[in-house]
Amino acid sequence: MKLTVFNGSPRGKRSNTTILLEHFLKGFMETEGNSYKLKYIVNNKNEKKIIEIFKDANNIILAFPLYTDCMPGIVKSFIDSLKPLCKNKDNPSIGFIVQSGFPEAYHSRFVERYLEKLAKRLNCQYIGCIVKGGIEGTRMMPHFMTKKIFNSFYELGKAYGKSGKFDQTLLNRLAKPEHLSALMRLFYNFGRLFGIVNAYWDKQLKDNDAFEKRFDKPYIMINSFRE
Amino acid sequence: MKIIILNGNPDADNIKFDNYLRDLSDSLESDNHTTNILKLREMNIKYCIGCFGCWLKTPGQCIFKDDSQAICREVINSDFVLFAAPLVMGFPSAVLKIAMDKLIPLLLPYIELVNNKECHHEKRYDKKYPLIGLLIEREDDTDSEDIKIVSDIFSRFAIDFKSSLCFVKETNIPVQEVSDEINSI
Repeated sequence: MKLTVFNGSPRGKRSNTTILLEHFLKGFMETEGNSYKLKYIVNNKNEKKIIEIFKDANNIILAFPLYTDCMPGIVKSFIDSLKPLCKNKDNPSIGFIVQSGFPEAYHSRFVERYLEKLAKRLNCQYIGCIVKGGIEGTRMMPHFMTKKIFNSFYELGKAYGKSGKFDQTLLNRLAKPEHLSALMRLFYNFGRLFGIVNAYWDKQLKDNDAFEKRFDKPYIMINSFRE
Repeated sequence: MKIIILNGNPDADNIKFDNYLRDLSDSLESDNHTTNILKLREMNIKYCIGCFGCWLKTPGQCIFKDDSQAICREVINSDFVLFAAPLVMGFPSAVLKIAMDKLIPLLLPYIELVNNKECHHEKRYDKKYPLIGLLIEREDDTDSEDIKIVSDIFSRFAIDFKSSLCFVKETNIPVQEVSDEINSI
């Protein structure tokens, strides 16, 4: 199987999306004869070239982080540039990976519907969408906690490399939690009370010497516009 | 009301769309609103690179000194924001989405449970955040499913931005209808 991967992270190579893709691709390469090409959307300066790469591919994976409950602006630019391909009948198959900072998969379900429709619009066979929340937090998680997530990406990649499909059972398992459970909400409120939940941000603010400015409101106007 | 119209028309040749917004703005002004159209395609907006600098280094401001700072200032000091763009590949243009990503300095990094249910970032400003509306121009192949998907995504965006989505309208209706809708808010 020949695969072309578009990494849509605006952070480029140094991103959570890159880490997840590494595990997915490691699994994908377990099947003999498989090969892949990896392109970073953020580095793309040539719209014509990217259309050519898309058109010539057999199978595509597009991966990106969730920005304001949707795709990042640069990924939308990429998608818009594919418009001339809508009339083609032999476009590649396409699957998606959407990862988010918030823990619940639910945040990504809306753009997932858009992506399925996008595949249809491009006459691409739709492989599916891997959704995983809580990824920003993996930066501070201990190894044993991230191992499970990374292993799921490996397993999904392995199954995809063999069958060209996303394993639905693995997808469902990885997506959990779809919503926060009552217990998780309780933990959350408890943690917030003791400042545990937002400690991740506070530490970085302090490291940057910006902690005192964390609530700055630079754009507020004193006079109301109401007449 | 103070109304900001974010014009996400990417194509200078699409005069019809710009004219529609100009007529809408005129109509709203005649109803005693203050309006300002921001033509995003002519502004210098560096796409959000997800560095979190606007939360953790220069709180409240993007670390890039681009026109998104003016957009944030206009948006937070308004009562109503109209997001306006032609659909491209079934979703408002990239130029509009790039500008939307750059509104996150208006939020804090801190996370709260909205309705004690799901995670969202806290608001940075104490004031009531502007209400939002969406105005789109159809593509040839736009169907009701596309409109539903876009509406649902903008409703989610509204929750992120401590606001609510008042309406989704298309440019195939008379300007007066959109203006009436805004007047009824």
